[in-house]
Amino acid sequence: MREVINKEVSVVSFFSASKRLSLPHIVSWHGTEYAVGKIGFHHTIRKGNTLHHIFELVDRDEVLWMRLNLDTSNLHWTLEAVSDGLAD
Amino acid sequence: MALQTKSASRQRGRARALPVNSAAPYLMHIDLNSCFTTIEQQANPLIRNKPVAVAAYTTPNGFVLAASYEAKALGIKLGLNVRQAKEICPEIIVLMPDPPKYRAAYTRFKEVLLEYTSDVTPKSIDEFVIDFRGSAAIRAGMTMEEIGYEIKQRLREHIGEYVSVNVGIGPNRSLAKLAAGLHKPDGLDIINAQNLEATLANCELMDLPGINRRFKARLFAAGITTPLEMYNADPNFLRNNVFFSKLGDMWHARLRGWEVDDVEFDRKTIGHQYALKEKTFDRDKLCRLLMKLSEKTGRRLRKNNLVAHGVHLSIRFTNHTYWHHGQKTEQALYATQDIYRAAADMLRGIGQFPDNVSLMSVHVFNLQDKSPEQTGLFDDFQIHQRRLADAADKINDRYGEFTAIPAVMAGMRGKEILDRIAFGSLRDMDDQMR
Repeated sequence: MREVINKEVSVVSFFSASKRLSLPHIVSWHGTEYAVGKIGFHHTIRKGNTLHHIFELVDRDEVLWMRLNLDTSNLHWTLEAVSDGLAD
Repeated sequence: MALQTKSASRQRGRARALPVNSAAPYLMHIDLNSCFTTIEQQANPLIRNKPVAVAAYTTPNGFVLAASYEAKALGIKLGLNVRQAKEICPEIIVLMPDPPKYRAAYTRFKEVLLEYTSDVTPKSIDEFVIDFRGSAAIRAGMTMEEIGYEIKQRLREHIGEYVSVNVGIGPNRSLAKLAAGLHKPDGLDIINAQNLEATLANCELMDLPGINRRFKARLFAAGITTPLEMYNADPNFLRNNVFFSKLGDMWHARLRGWEVDDVEFDRKTIGHQYALKEKTFDRDKLCRLLMKLSEKTGRRLRKNNLVAHGVHLSIRFTNHTYWHHGQKTEQALYATQDIYRAAADMLRGIGQFPDNVSLMSVHVFNLQDKSPEQTGLFDDFQIHQRRLADAADKINDRYGEFTAIPAVMAGMRGKEILDRIAFGSLRDMDDQMR
């Protein structure tokens, strides 16, 4: 079931200079720290002049899917939605 | 050369049968398997290998726009509504479309293909035709089959490991597309002069790209029941007894591997359509929707630096009846208000609605380049309107769509007209990506 969250969350991210990749690493939500596993898809959108990076990923245990939005105007992370991969 | 021969013989009254094109096949047709659902399954590993549908809305009456292979295997296909899909499979995962994500995948898809050649023609959001004649890969000695498998791998690396494509290789666009459909999903097939007849012998008429039910009925009425019979038919018979136009000659050439589909059509209209989630006959609500449709249409018109000389409004009612009207305008339409005014006049002209409105669309036509601007001596108001429209566009470019809105739209919820991918209309998608 997919649930819309739209709340700012704490995220630890890292940048690998050798791979030229910047990715979220740990997401803190509802008092739990989720280590990021597979990144399913990453794309960008523009809202007016502001670029947003959208990361769709699963935690390392592959039980929770998250959609994270990084607002590049203030570098704040928003957890937009979560899903357990089951039907509504 | 063969088409010149055909043209010359037509002048003599009868077209001669063409030989089979024996040139090596260098055209590749690639399409992404179940595009929207595959991208969703790529983005969310938890829904992979499960029945998934992308629907216009997740509510029971929302139409299924795409179904995953797992859903298709259960009989869920495009056009069913969510209620019907859930009756077939209660566990189906239904998602709303996410156009920016699909556009991002399309861009990456295209980037990979452009690494091979600049001769890449997008046919829709999930389909491309690539002409490899003279490409670096061919000059380097790669076969078309090797290139096809390499592209499959490159797409997995560039878009995601769950993404698979059908690759078809043929001497022309039509046969390449037919080849791409032979072994779905994740197939790769080649049609050439050697296996053409054997391939056609294993196909149904409606497997041929462009043969729909109507054409199939015509072919059956003329005694042609298989692609092989169509391939063997005399071009004059196809023209005079089946298609009643040059389409018959084109089909004759197409099935023999000659290219007849390498044509670009000019853009004739720009518009936007909206299926109402809450059906209504409230004219105030419809006017607000009309303004939003006019604004979306106007934005696209202005981004393309065009003006229009006509507006078309169409409305579908819940009882499946349909009303539409087009009107040419003397004045060049450019600002949103110009389009809205013309469309609203038409809306007012409809008497009593037979039922609630379920779908509304606004299109502008008779498109012309905006510049050079031609205005009359007393057209100050029109010039001001155009400048106002340009200024509002700049605000919306900077702060996001619908930041500056016409007063009629005040009070509308921002998402009342959702971002959508127009099937088959890449020009509309290109406008949205700008």
